[in-house]
Amino acid sequence: MDSLHAIGFYVSAAISVGGGLALAFLPGRGSRGVALAVAGLGIAGLYLSLSAGFAGLVALVCFAGCALLLAAPHYRVIDAAVGGAWRQAGAVAAAGLFALLAYAAWRGDFFHALYYSGDIGSASIGRLLFAHDALTTEAVGALVLAALAGATAMWRGRGRGR
Amino acid sequence: MSAGLVSVLFVGAALVTTGVFVAAWKRDLTAALAGLPLIFGGAGVAFAGVSRFAATGGPPLFGQGMAALLAVVALALVALGVGIAGRGTPR
Repeated sequence: MDSLHAIGFYVSAAISVGGGLALAFLPGRGSRGVALAVAGLGIAGLYLSLSAGFAGLVALVCFAGCALLLAAPHYRVIDAAVGGAWRQAGAVAAAGLFALLAYAAWRGDFFHALYYSGDIGSASIGRLLFAHDALTTEAVGALVLAALAGATAMWRGRGRGR
Repeated sequence: MSAGLVSVLFVGAALVTTGVFVAAWKRDLTAALAGLPLIFGGAGVAFAGVSRFAATGGPPLFGQGMAALLAVVALALVALGVGIAGRGTPR
């Protein structure tokens, strides 16, 4: 990875993690949606700097969809029944998980290989998804269709019940 | 300046952990769904990094394809979660 890609990688990493932390602490739906969109922008930049531009484009669209869903003013607020102590325990557990994963990442530099594809790689991804992994792609497509249809049906059903 | 597999895995770990933290920290369970895309995004970054730097045993683009699929799955799960929560008053 050359210097330009490395700078893009580190800037995108800072944007994505910063957006994620802002997502945790910002109040209000609109600000949470913006924070999630910023995190998605950073993750798309990470993919682009890793020569995975097609995955970055897909991630950008999907994060924009998630941000729009979570910033919408119509969904119902469901307060968790657990208290503050359990939330703090969850935060400490997240820190422990990070320590574990960071150690695994530090020990992960054991293998290198050459990379043959281009910056975007959409043609190669298309060949992989629709030729080599066609069944997986269709399974994920079916999952997405079922999830969106279920979400729409529940949304309409609950709205009609009121 | 350079970035290698360790840096990519480290950033992926940070994203996964941030998503877990968001899911654990939010009082509103529907808002806690916002941690899911971060978790899946971190996993996707790790997949793309392994595909970019260290993939010789399998197809070289498997990690990138997996990252794209994880992003779509995250969107589907958030849509399903918001749909299950249903409509309510804004807050």
